[in-house]
Amino acid sequence: MDYDALLNVSATLGYGLLESGAEIYRVEESIQRLLHAYGIQQANPFVIPNCIIVSFVTPAGTSMTQVRRMPSHGTDVDLLERYNDLCRRLCRETPALEEAERRLREIRENQRRYSFPALLLAYFIGSAAFCLFFGGSFQDALCSGLCGLSIGLALAAMTRLHANLFFKSMLGAALSAFLALGLTCLGIGQHSQLIIIGALMALVPGIIFTNAIRDVIAGDMVAGLSKIADALLTGVSVALGTGFALGLARLLWGV
Amino acid sequence: MELATKYLLPVLYAFVSCGGFAIIYNIHGPGILICSFGGALGWLTYLLSAPLLHSDIAQIFVAALVISAYAEIMARIRKCPVTGYLLVAIFPLVPGGGIYYTMEYALNGEIDQFLASFLHTLGLAGAIAVGVLLVSSAVRMWGAFRRHFSPLKEVRP
Repeated sequence: MDYDALLNVSATLGYGLLESGAEIYRVEESIQRLLHAYGIQQANPFVIPNCIIVSFVTPAGTSMTQVRRMPSHGTDVDLLERYNDLCRRLCRETPALEEAERRLREIRENQRRYSFPALLLAYFIGSAAFCLFFGGSFQDALCSGLCGLSIGLALAAMTRLHANLFFKSMLGAALSAFLALGLTCLGIGQHSQLIIIGALMALVPGIIFTNAIRDVIAGDMVAGLSKIADALLTGVSVALGTGFALGLARLLWGV
Repeated sequence: MELATKYLLPVLYAFVSCGGFAIIYNIHGPGILICSFGGALGWLTYLLSAPLLHSDIAQIFVAALVISAYAEIMARIRKCPVTGYLLVAIFPLVPGGGIYYTMEYALNGEIDQFLASFLHTLGLAGAIAVGVLLVSSAVRMWGAFRRHFSPLKEVRP
Protein backbone atom coordinates (compact mmCIF):
# COMPACT_ATOMS: atom_id res chain seq x y z
CA MET A 1 0.00 0.00 0.00
CA ASP A 2 1.11 3.56 -0.72
CA TYR A 3 1.41 4.96 2.81
CA ASP A 4 2.34 8.43 1.57
CA ALA A 5 -1.00 8.63 -0.21
CA LEU A 6 -2.80 7.31 2.87
CA LEU A 7 -1.12 9.96 5.02
CA ASN A 8 -2.19 12.59 2.53
CA VAL A 9 -5.79 11.39 2.36
CA SER A 10 -6.19 11.25 6.14
CA ALA A 11 -4.61 14.67 6.66
CA THR A 12 -6.76 16.20 3.93
CA LEU A 13 -9.90 14.70 5.42
CA GLY A 14 -8.97 16.05 8.85
CA TYR A 15 -8.18 19.45 7.37
CA GLY A 16 -11.56 19.57 5.62
CA LEU A 17 -13.44 18.60 8.78
CA LEU A 18 -11.64 21.12 10.96
CA GLU A 19 -12.00 23.85 8.38
CA SER A 20 -15.76 23.39 8.21
CA GLY A 21 -16.05 23.77 11.98
CA ALA A 22 -16.03 20.22 13.37
CA GLU A 23 -15.23 19.62 17.03
CA ILE A 24 -11.65 18.58 17.81
CA TYR A 25 -12.60 15.10 18.97
CA ARG A 26 -14.53 14.48 15.76
CA VAL A 27 -11.48 15.34 13.64
CA GLU A 28 -9.19 13.14 15.72
CA GLU A 29 -11.63 10.22 15.77
CA SER A 30 -12.28 10.45 12.03
CA ILE A 31 -8.57 10.34 11.19
CA GLN A 32 -8.04 7.46 13.61
CA ARG A 33 -10.92 5.42 12.21
CA LEU A 34 -9.82 6.02 8.65
CA LEU A 35 -6.29 4.85 9.40
CA HIS A 36 -7.62 1.81 11.28
CA ALA A 37 -9.86 0.93 8.35
CA TYR A 38 -6.80 0.92 6.09
CA GLY A 39 -4.95 -1.42 8.42
CA ILE A 40 -2.80 0.91 10.52
CA GLN A 41 -2.61 -0.33 14.11
CA GLN A 42 -0.77 2.56 15.69
CA ALA A 43 -2.20 5.91 14.65
CA ASN A 44 -1.82 9.17 16.56
CA PRO A 45 -3.64 12.18 15.23
CA PHE A 46 -3.27 15.34 17.31
CA VAL A 47 -5.47 18.34 16.61
CA ILE A 48 -5.71 21.82 18.09
CA PRO A 49 -7.78 24.63 16.56
CA ASN A 50 -5.11 25.79 14.13
CA CYS A 51 -2.94 22.74 13.57
CA ILE A 52 -3.35 19.10 12.59
CA ILE A 53 -0.61 16.53 13.17
CA VAL A 54 -1.13 13.02 11.79
CA SER A 55 1.44 10.42 12.72
CA PHE A 56 1.38 6.64 12.31
CA VAL A 57 3.67 3.64 12.12
CA THR A 58 3.38 1.46 9.02
CA PRO A 59 3.32 -2.35 9.41
CA ALA A 60 6.90 -2.35 8.08
CA GLY A 61 7.92 -0.21 11.05
CA THR A 62 8.56 3.20 9.47
CA SER A 63 6.88 6.13 11.16
CA MET A 64 5.28 8.84 9.04
CA THR A 65 4.09 12.29 10.04
CA GLN A 66 2.39 15.21 8.39
CA VAL A 67 1.62 18.62 9.86
CA ARG A 68 -1.04 20.93 8.46
CA ARG A 69 -1.41 24.52 9.53
CA MET A 70 -5.01 25.71 9.72
CA PRO A 71 -5.84 29.35 9.04
CA SER A 72 -8.73 30.96 10.89
CA HIS A 73 -12.01 29.63 9.59
CA GLY A 74 -15.77 29.86 10.00
CA THR A 75 -18.53 27.29 10.24
CA ASP A 76 -19.95 25.58 7.17
CA VAL A 77 -22.42 22.92 8.24
CA ASP A 78 -23.07 21.56 4.76
CA LEU A 79 -19.36 20.94 4.13
CA LEU A 80 -19.03 19.38 7.59
CA GLU A 81 -21.87 16.94 6.90
CA ARG A 82 -20.35 15.93 3.59
CA TYR A 83 -16.86 15.31 4.98
CA ASN A 84 -18.38 13.35 7.85
CA ASP A 85 -20.40 11.27 5.43
CA LEU A 86 -17.34 10.66 3.26
CA CYS A 87 -15.37 9.51 6.30
CA ARG A 88 -18.07 6.98 7.21
CA ARG A 89 -18.10 5.66 3.65
CA LEU A 90 -14.34 5.41 3.35
CA CYS A 91 -14.17 3.49 6.62
CA ARG A 92 -16.90 1.10 5.50
CA GLU A 93 -15.87 0.52 1.89
CA THR A 94 -12.10 1.20 2.06
CA PRO A 95 -11.82 1.97 -1.68
CA ALA A 96 -8.46 2.34 -3.44
CA LEU A 97 -6.61 5.48 -2.33
CA GLU A 98 -6.87 7.12 -5.76
CA GLU A 99 -10.65 6.77 -5.47
CA ALA A 100 -10.60 8.29 -1.97
CA GLU A 101 -8.51 11.20 -3.24
CA ARG A 102 -10.92 11.71 -6.09
CA ARG A 103 -13.90 11.82 -3.73
CA LEU A 104 -12.15 14.32 -1.47
CA ARG A 105 -11.45 16.55 -4.46
CA GLU A 106 -15.05 16.19 -5.56
CA ILE A 107 -16.32 17.61 -2.24
CA ARG A 108 -13.96 20.53 -2.58
CA GLU A 109 -15.01 21.19 -6.18
CA ASN A 110 -18.80 20.96 -5.79
CA GLN A 111 -19.20 23.00 -2.64
CA ARG A 112 -22.78 24.08 -2.20
CA ARG A 113 -23.01 27.73 -1.28
CA TYR A 114 -25.91 30.11 -1.12
CA SER A 115 -25.65 33.06 -3.49
CA PHE A 116 -24.68 36.40 -1.97
CA PRO A 117 -28.18 37.96 -2.30
CA ALA A 118 -29.69 34.88 -0.61
CA LEU A 119 -27.23 35.29 2.27
CA LEU A 120 -28.10 38.97 2.63
CA LEU A 121 -31.78 38.06 2.64
CA ALA A 122 -31.05 35.54 5.39
CA TYR A 123 -29.31 38.26 7.43
CA PHE A 124 -32.34 40.48 6.90
CA ILE A 125 -34.86 37.83 7.92
CA GLY A 126 -32.82 36.59 10.88
CA SER A 127 -32.28 40.06 12.35
CA ALA A 128 -35.84 41.23 11.69
CA ALA A 129 -37.32 38.13 13.32
CA PHE A 130 -35.04 38.52 16.35
CA CYS A 131 -36.17 42.12 16.73
CA LEU A 132 -39.80 40.98 16.79
CA PHE A 133 -38.78 38.18 19.12
CA PHE A 134 -37.39 40.65 21.66
CA GLY A 135 -40.61 42.64 21.52
CA GLY A 136 -40.08 45.18 18.73
CA SER A 137 -42.84 46.46 16.46
CA PHE A 138 -42.98 45.73 12.73
CA GLN A 139 -41.35 49.07 11.95
CA ASP A 140 -38.52 48.18 14.31
CA ALA A 141 -38.21 44.81 12.59
CA LEU A 142 -37.80 46.50 9.23
CA CYS A 143 -35.00 48.71 10.59
CA SER A 144 -33.39 45.76 12.34
CA GLY A 145 -33.49 43.82 9.08
CA LEU A 146 -31.70 46.69 7.34
CA CYS A 147 -29.08 46.76 10.10
CA GLY A 148 -28.63 43.00 9.77
CA LEU A 149 -28.18 43.50 6.04
CA SER A 150 -25.47 46.08 6.70
CA ILE A 151 -23.74 43.60 9.03
CA GLY A 152 -23.82 40.98 6.27
CA LEU A 153 -22.32 43.44 3.78
CA ALA A 154 -19.68 44.63 6.25
CA LEU A 155 -18.65 41.07 7.14
CA ALA A 156 -18.33 40.10 3.49
CA ALA A 157 -16.28 43.20 2.67
CA MET A 158 -14.01 42.75 5.68
CA THR A 159 -13.45 39.10 4.85
CA ARG A 160 -12.24 40.21 1.42
CA LEU A 161 -9.78 42.55 3.12
CA HIS A 162 -8.56 39.74 5.45
CA ALA A 163 -9.50 41.71 8.56
CA ASN A 164 -9.22 39.79 11.82
CA LEU A 165 -12.25 38.41 13.60
CA PHE A 166 -12.41 41.03 16.37
CA PHE A 167 -12.11 43.99 14.09
CA LYS A 168 -14.78 42.48 11.84
CA SER A 169 -17.32 42.12 14.62
CA MET A 170 -16.43 45.51 16.08
CA LEU A 171 -16.97 47.25 12.77
CA GLY A 172 -20.17 45.31 12.02
CA ALA A 173 -21.58 46.19 15.45
CA ALA A 174 -20.64 49.86 15.14
CA LEU A 175 -22.11 50.14 11.67
CA SER A 176 -25.41 48.48 12.55
CA ALA A 177 -25.83 50.44 15.79
CA PHE A 178 -25.11 53.71 14.02
CA LEU A 179 -27.61 52.84 11.29
CA ALA A 180 -30.21 51.85 13.89
CA LEU A 181 -29.85 55.16 15.73
CA GLY A 182 -30.00 57.05 12.44
CA LEU A 183 -33.19 55.29 11.41
CA THR A 184 -34.72 55.95 14.83
CA CYS A 185 -33.77 59.61 14.51
CA LEU A 186 -35.51 59.77 11.13
CA GLY A 187 -38.61 58.35 12.78
CA ILE A 188 -38.69 55.04 10.92
CA GLY A 189 -37.73 52.94 13.92
CA GLN A 190 -39.32 53.30 17.34
CA HIS A 191 -37.14 51.47 19.85
CA SER A 192 -33.46 51.81 18.98
CA GLN A 193 -32.42 49.34 21.71
CA LEU A 194 -34.55 46.51 20.34
CA ILE A 195 -33.40 47.24 16.78
CA ILE A 196 -29.75 47.06 17.82
CA ILE A 197 -30.22 43.89 19.86
CA GLY A 198 -32.00 42.16 16.98
CA ALA A 199 -29.23 43.04 14.54
CA LEU A 200 -26.45 42.15 17.00
CA MET A 201 -27.65 38.54 17.19
CA ALA A 202 -25.79 37.99 13.90
CA LEU A 203 -22.52 38.91 15.65
CA VAL A 204 -22.94 37.61 19.19
CA PRO A 205 -20.54 34.69 19.67
CA GLY A 206 -23.17 32.07 20.56
CA ILE A 207 -21.83 29.55 18.08
CA ILE A 208 -18.20 29.80 19.16
CA PHE A 209 -19.27 29.52 22.77
CA THR A 210 -21.37 26.37 22.25
CA ASN A 211 -18.54 24.85 20.22
CA ALA A 212 -16.06 25.67 22.97
CA ILE A 213 -18.23 23.93 25.54
CA ARG A 214 -18.44 20.82 23.38
CA ASP A 215 -14.65 20.74 23.13
CA VAL A 216 -14.29 21.10 26.89
CA ILE A 217 -16.67 18.18 27.47
CA ALA A 218 -14.67 15.99 25.14
CA GLY A 219 -11.56 16.80 27.20
CA ASP A 220 -9.81 19.01 24.63
CA MET A 221 -8.92 21.76 27.05
CA VAL A 222 -6.50 23.59 24.74
CA ALA A 223 -9.14 23.94 22.06
CA GLY A 224 -11.93 24.67 24.53
CA LEU A 225 -10.06 27.38 26.39
CA SER A 226 -8.83 29.08 23.25
CA LYS A 227 -12.37 29.12 21.86
CA ILE A 228 -13.80 30.49 25.11
CA ALA A 229 -11.21 33.26 24.96
CA ASP A 230 -12.25 33.83 21.36
CA ALA A 231 -15.94 34.06 22.37
CA LEU A 232 -15.19 36.49 25.22
CA LEU A 233 -13.06 38.71 23.00
CA THR A 234 -15.72 38.70 20.27
CA GLY A 235 -18.37 39.62 22.85
CA VAL A 236 -16.22 42.47 24.13
CA SER A 237 -15.51 43.74 20.63
CA VAL A 238 -19.24 43.69 19.79
CA ALA A 239 -19.90 45.69 22.93
CA LEU A 240 -17.06 48.11 22.12
CA GLY A 241 -18.31 48.63 18.56
CA THR A 242 -21.85 49.31 19.72
CA GLY A 243 -20.60 51.58 22.48
CA PHE A 244 -18.55 53.57 20.00
CA ALA A 245 -21.59 54.08 17.75
CA LEU A 246 -23.79 55.10 20.69
CA GLY A 247 -21.22 57.62 21.86
CA LEU A 248 -20.81 59.04 18.37
CA ALA A 249 -24.57 59.33 17.89
CA ARG A 250 -24.83 61.19 21.20
CA LEU A 251 -22.24 63.66 20.02
CA LEU A 252 -23.81 64.12 16.59
CA TRP A 253 -27.55 64.02 17.23
CA GLY A 254 -27.85 64.14 20.98
CA VAL A 255 -29.95 60.97 21.30
CA MET B 1 -55.50 36.44 22.27
CA GLU B 2 -53.20 36.34 25.28
CA LEU B 3 -52.15 32.85 24.27
CA ALA B 4 -51.16 34.14 20.84
CA THR B 5 -49.10 37.12 22.00
CA LYS B 6 -47.52 35.34 24.93
CA TYR B 7 -46.66 31.97 23.45
CA LEU B 8 -47.46 31.61 19.76
CA LEU B 9 -45.84 34.73 18.33
CA PRO B 10 -42.46 34.52 20.13
CA VAL B 11 -42.18 30.86 19.17
CA LEU B 12 -43.01 31.73 15.57
CA TYR B 13 -40.39 34.50 15.56
CA ALA B 14 -37.81 32.13 17.01
CA PHE B 15 -38.69 29.66 14.23
CA VAL B 16 -38.24 32.27 11.47
CA SER B 17 -35.01 33.73 12.85
CA CYS B 18 -33.42 30.29 13.24
CA GLY B 19 -34.33 29.63 9.61
CA GLY B 20 -32.46 32.78 8.62
CA PHE B 21 -29.38 31.86 10.63
CA ALA B 22 -29.45 28.29 9.30
CA ILE B 23 -28.93 29.78 5.83
CA ILE B 24 -26.08 32.00 7.07
CA TYR B 25 -24.30 28.90 8.39
CA ASN B 26 -24.79 27.16 5.04
CA ILE B 27 -27.35 24.52 5.99
CA HIS B 28 -29.27 23.15 3.02
CA GLY B 29 -32.52 21.27 2.53
CA PRO B 30 -34.50 19.77 5.42
CA GLY B 31 -31.74 20.80 7.85
CA ILE B 32 -33.14 24.34 7.82
CA LEU B 33 -36.53 23.15 9.04
CA ILE B 34 -34.93 20.96 11.69
CA CYS B 35 -32.95 23.92 13.05
CA SER B 36 -35.95 26.24 13.00
CA PHE B 37 -38.07 23.67 14.77
CA GLY B 38 -35.34 23.17 17.37
CA GLY B 39 -35.18 26.91 18.05
CA ALA B 40 -38.98 27.10 18.38
CA LEU B 41 -39.02 24.07 20.67
CA GLY B 42 -36.33 25.59 22.89
CA TRP B 43 -38.19 28.86 23.26
CA LEU B 44 -41.49 27.08 23.92
CA THR B 45 -39.75 25.18 26.74
CA TYR B 46 -38.42 28.46 28.09
CA LEU B 47 -41.90 30.02 28.11
CA LEU B 48 -43.73 27.00 29.47
CA SER B 49 -41.26 26.45 32.29
CA ALA B 50 -41.69 30.05 33.51
CA PRO B 51 -44.52 29.34 36.03
CA LEU B 52 -42.56 26.41 37.48
CA LEU B 53 -39.09 27.89 37.83
CA HIS B 54 -39.48 31.67 38.24
CA SER B 55 -35.89 32.33 37.21
CA ASP B 56 -34.71 33.01 33.71
CA ILE B 57 -31.36 31.32 34.29
CA ALA B 58 -33.11 28.07 35.26
CA GLN B 59 -35.49 28.45 32.32
CA ILE B 60 -32.58 28.91 29.89
CA PHE B 61 -30.93 25.85 31.41
CA VAL B 62 -34.02 23.67 30.84
CA ALA B 63 -34.43 25.02 27.30
CA ALA B 64 -30.75 24.23 26.56
CA LEU B 65 -31.31 20.68 27.85
CA VAL B 66 -34.31 20.20 25.56
CA ILE B 67 -32.55 21.64 22.50
CA SER B 68 -29.45 19.49 23.02
CA ALA B 69 -31.52 16.35 23.43
CA TYR B 70 -33.50 17.25 20.30
CA ALA B 71 -30.29 17.91 18.33
CA GLU B 72 -28.77 14.60 19.45
CA ILE B 73 -31.89 12.71 18.39
CA MET B 74 -32.06 14.45 15.01
CA ALA B 75 -28.36 13.80 14.43
CA ARG B 76 -28.86 10.09 15.12
CA ILE B 77 -31.85 9.93 12.78
CA ARG B 78 -30.14 11.76 9.92
CA LYS B 79 -26.66 10.35 10.63
CA CYS B 80 -25.15 13.83 10.64
CA PRO B 81 -22.91 15.66 13.12
CA VAL B 82 -24.85 17.15 16.04
CA THR B 83 -23.08 20.51 15.80
CA GLY B 84 -25.02 21.89 12.87
CA TYR B 85 -28.43 21.53 14.46
CA LEU B 86 -27.34 22.44 17.95
CA LEU B 87 -25.50 25.63 17.04
CA VAL B 88 -28.35 27.28 15.20
CA ALA B 89 -31.20 26.05 17.40
CA ILE B 90 -29.50 27.48 20.50
CA PHE B 91 -29.50 30.99 18.97
CA PRO B 92 -32.69 32.35 20.63
CA LEU B 93 -31.22 31.52 24.05
CA VAL B 94 -27.99 33.47 23.49
CA PRO B 95 -28.04 36.56 25.74
CA GLY B 96 -27.69 39.21 23.03
CA GLY B 97 -29.81 41.63 25.04
CA GLY B 98 -27.63 41.04 28.09
CA ILE B 99 -24.48 42.00 26.24
CA TYR B 100 -26.14 45.14 24.90
CA TYR B 101 -27.54 46.35 28.22
CA THR B 102 -24.25 45.61 29.97
CA MET B 103 -22.47 47.76 27.44
CA GLU B 104 -25.04 50.55 27.76
CA TYR B 105 -24.76 50.64 31.55
CA ALA B 106 -20.98 50.77 31.23
CA LEU B 107 -21.27 53.65 28.77
CA ASN B 108 -23.59 55.59 31.08
CA GLY B 109 -21.30 55.00 34.04
CA GLU B 110 -23.95 53.12 36.09
CA ILE B 111 -21.49 50.77 37.74
CA ASP B 112 -23.93 48.88 40.00
CA GLN B 113 -26.28 48.05 37.19
CA PHE B 114 -23.36 47.29 34.91
CA LEU B 115 -22.01 44.70 37.33
CA ALA B 116 -25.44 43.16 37.94
CA SER B 117 -26.17 42.92 34.23
CA PHE B 118 -22.69 41.58 33.47
CA LEU B 119 -22.97 38.82 36.05
CA HIS B 120 -26.49 37.99 34.89
CA THR B 121 -25.29 37.68 31.28
CA LEU B 122 -22.46 35.41 32.40
CA GLY B 123 -25.01 33.35 34.33
CA LEU B 124 -27.18 32.94 31.25
CA ALA B 125 -24.20 31.87 29.15
CA GLY B 126 -23.18 29.46 31.89
CA ALA B 127 -26.69 27.99 31.98
CA ILE B 128 -26.53 27.28 28.23
CA ALA B 129 -23.10 25.73 28.70
CA VAL B 130 -24.16 23.45 31.54
CA GLY B 131 -27.31 22.39 29.66
CA VAL B 132 -25.38 21.45 26.53
CA LEU B 133 -22.66 19.84 28.64
CA LEU B 134 -25.03 17.59 30.60
CA VAL B 135 -26.78 16.17 27.56
CA SER B 136 -23.67 15.52 25.50
CA SER B 137 -21.88 13.95 28.46
CA ALA B 138 -24.89 11.69 29.05
CA VAL B 139 -24.92 10.70 25.37
CA ARG B 140 -21.20 9.88 25.43
CA MET B 141 -21.62 7.80 28.58
CA TRP B 142 -24.56 5.97 27.03
CA GLY B 143 -22.43 5.23 23.96
CA ALA B 144 -19.61 3.81 26.10
CA PHE B 145 -22.13 1.81 28.14
CA ARG B 146 -23.60 0.26 25.01
CA ARG B 147 -20.19 -0.64 23.62
CA HIS B 148 -19.12 -2.39 26.80
CA PHE B 149 -22.30 -4.21 27.69
CA SER B 150 -23.93 -4.86 24.34
CA PRO B 151 -24.78 -8.59 24.05
CA LEU B 152 -23.63 -8.62 20.42
CA LYS B 153 -20.26 -7.06 21.20
CA GLU B 154 -20.47 -5.25 17.91
CA VAL B 155 -18.20 -2.25 17.62
CA ARG B 156 -19.83 0.36 15.47
CA PRO B 157 -17.67 2.61 13.34
